[in-house]
Amino acid sequence: MENVEKKLREEAKSLLAEKKVDVVVGYEKGTLPLTATPCFITTPEEADRLVWNPFCVQNLAKFVHDLLGQHHEAQKRVKPEARRKKVVGVVARGCTSRSLVIHLQEKQYTKDEIIILGVPCGGYLDGKKLAALAGGEEIREGSLDEGKIVVKTVSGERQAALKDLLADNCLVCRFNQPVIADIRTGEVAPVAEAEKEYDPVTAFENLPPEARWAYFEKEMAKCIRCSACRNVCPSCYCRICFADQSQPRWVDIGADPSDTQLFQLMRMYHMVGRCVDCGSCTAVCPMGVDLRKFLKKLDKDAFEMFGHRAGVSLEEPAPLGAYRETDGEDFIFEPGKKIEA
Amino acid sequence: MEKRLIKKETLAGIVGELAGKMRVCAPMKAEDQVLFRVLEAGEKPLVDFANTKNAPKNFLFPRTEMMMKYTRTGKGMVFAGEEETDRGQTLLFGVRPCDARSFTLLDMLFDQEKYRDPYYINKRKRTTVVALACVHPPYTTCFCTSVGGNPVSSEGVDLLLTDLGEAYLAEFLTPKGEALLSAFGGTPAGKGAEKKKEEIAARAAGEIASRIPAREIKPILDTHFEDPFWDTLHLKCLACGTCTYLCPTCHCFDISDEVKGNDGIRIRNWDSCMFPMFTKETSGHNPRPSQKERWRQRIMHKFRYYVDNFGAISCVGCGRCVMACPVNLDIRKVVADIAKL
Repeated sequence: MENVEKKLREEAKSLLAEKKVDVVVGYEKGTLPLTATPCFITTPEEADRLVWNPFCVQNLAKFVHDLLGQHHEAQKRVKPEARRKKVVGVVARGCTSRSLVIHLQEKQYTKDEIIILGVPCGGYLDGKKLAALAGGEEIREGSLDEGKIVVKTVSGERQAALKDLLADNCLVCRFNQPVIADIRTGEVAPVAEAEKEYDPVTAFENLPPEARWAYFEKEMAKCIRCSACRNVCPSCYCRICFADQSQPRWVDIGADPSDTQLFQLMRMYHMVGRCVDCGSCTAVCPMGVDLRKFLKKLDKDAFEMFGHRAGVSLEEPAPLGAYRETDGEDFIFEPGKKIEA
Repeated sequence: MEKRLIKKETLAGIVGELAGKMRVCAPMKAEDQVLFRVLEAGEKPLVDFANTKNAPKNFLFPRTEMMMKYTRTGKGMVFAGEEETDRGQTLLFGVRPCDARSFTLLDMLFDQEKYRDPYYINKRKRTTVVALACVHPPYTTCFCTSVGGNPVSSEGVDLLLTDLGEAYLAEFLTPKGEALLSAFGGTPAGKGAEKKKEEIAARAAGEIASRIPAREIKPILDTHFEDPFWDTLHLKCLACGTCTYLCPTCHCFDISDEVKGNDGIRIRNWDSCMFPMFTKETSGHNPRPSQKERWRQRIMHKFRYYVDNFGAISCVGCGRCVMACPVNLDIRKVVADIAKL
């Protein structure tokens, strides 16, 4: 990982020095132990702030969309001859690169507006698992050394293997490398057991409907409607979200639980074939809502019904955004029936 | 002022018994978090915890609260009832001194000459605050001493409990606190106990690890409304409301109507200056068009406008936003960076 980090800094430095990019979106060290935080590097001198380690959590494609979207808007107010292109460099692992592919497929920006600094990924640290290791106490110090996480809390020191603390989505990830990249910075051994990807979903599907609904209600009751899940999601980029519309007001924010349930249901249904299972929504949720359970079900459906994996190739758009003569319709009459891709 | 010593092992039982006589809200374990909630009769609260994930402001200023009911008739809309007030007394147990201080800061706004908020004031009058002093600062992110508080502060407290080791020193500070004398019992505390508390207070204040130049930035903010600093501060912000929802002093709200058939209710819900919708006007114009203006507002409100209006910083240094921000946008670092402008 140190070598990847070193190469990453060098590449970012030269991209900025040669003015090939206006900004590099990456990660830097956070202010709390065992954290990294998104950062925006605009000068070669700052490139040494970049880090790459298992504390890098969020999918950075969201910020690429923000920066380019704002730039495109701003350019509309500039005379055509004075318009300029903005190029964003982005540190991208497998899931981030898949989100970039989705943006390109959905024509949010063009390939010449981004430079992808591909990084190999062995998964990131799950906040909840880390908190459980610390027994719910504040982590006062932490270290990662040779695949071992050590945390110090007020009551003492505890440790665990990094692989036991990785996020659930990382444990079943099949994309240790970015699917597209302009620059690649190294290799890493895969940790994932991709064949188990849908096991928890299958187990959940086998529960009676009442038990599944009860779980949904329980999880949604935790939601405080901060919208962190929506805002961190690279695939959630509507200019005005239906949840923010006031004429008509589709969902309220009051005490009626159906408002929150509807908000989450609607958001999730927009994710069919567009969710890359980066886990960012679950990672940023301050209340620990298990959003992934439901999103993974939609991902499974998209795969089983259309043979589609989100953002895997530029040539293969999301099933609900494309027409194919071979698309089956049997699922209308026989929900759950598998269709040959 | 009455001072008593209360045996340590009896405290949770005393509060549990009170829960049978009045509404008692206290810290309780909820899955992997500690949250304030209403106790059942006889239920014992946590007495040994760091701090709660949510601030206790919810009991004075609920996340969603009904203001009135109305009905549509042939003659137009008719008033059909007031807010549903629970007329009984509430005991808020296990409040940390920083959170208790937040009540005095909220009083300045909700209970002032120009404007008196009946919804808040009604609840505040009926609430007794029992605080647990911080014998050790619960988190390394605590910074109460930088914003005018301290680990044993009695501001906003009716009954202050300090753990002296073998017993709690109970200080019945106000008439509301004194009303609890018979319920808490105990034996009169002597000079020795007071001296011990002073020692604890001095040591705990010394153990606060985070210090920020919160007072020093006021004159800087006065002259730096326009500054390049604001251009990049917000870039990684997700525009979620986590910081403001968990903040004990944030108090912005939005009023909306929910109508079903001919019956409507007017409710007010927490709002957040981090949300784009917060300042959006009916015309579609938004005076705070980007996250830049929203972050500037958040900082200005807490460290400049509140000082101008009420002579106090609107931050109690609990560190909740520091710990819960999904992208580690650390207010301690923001304040420190402003001090360098």
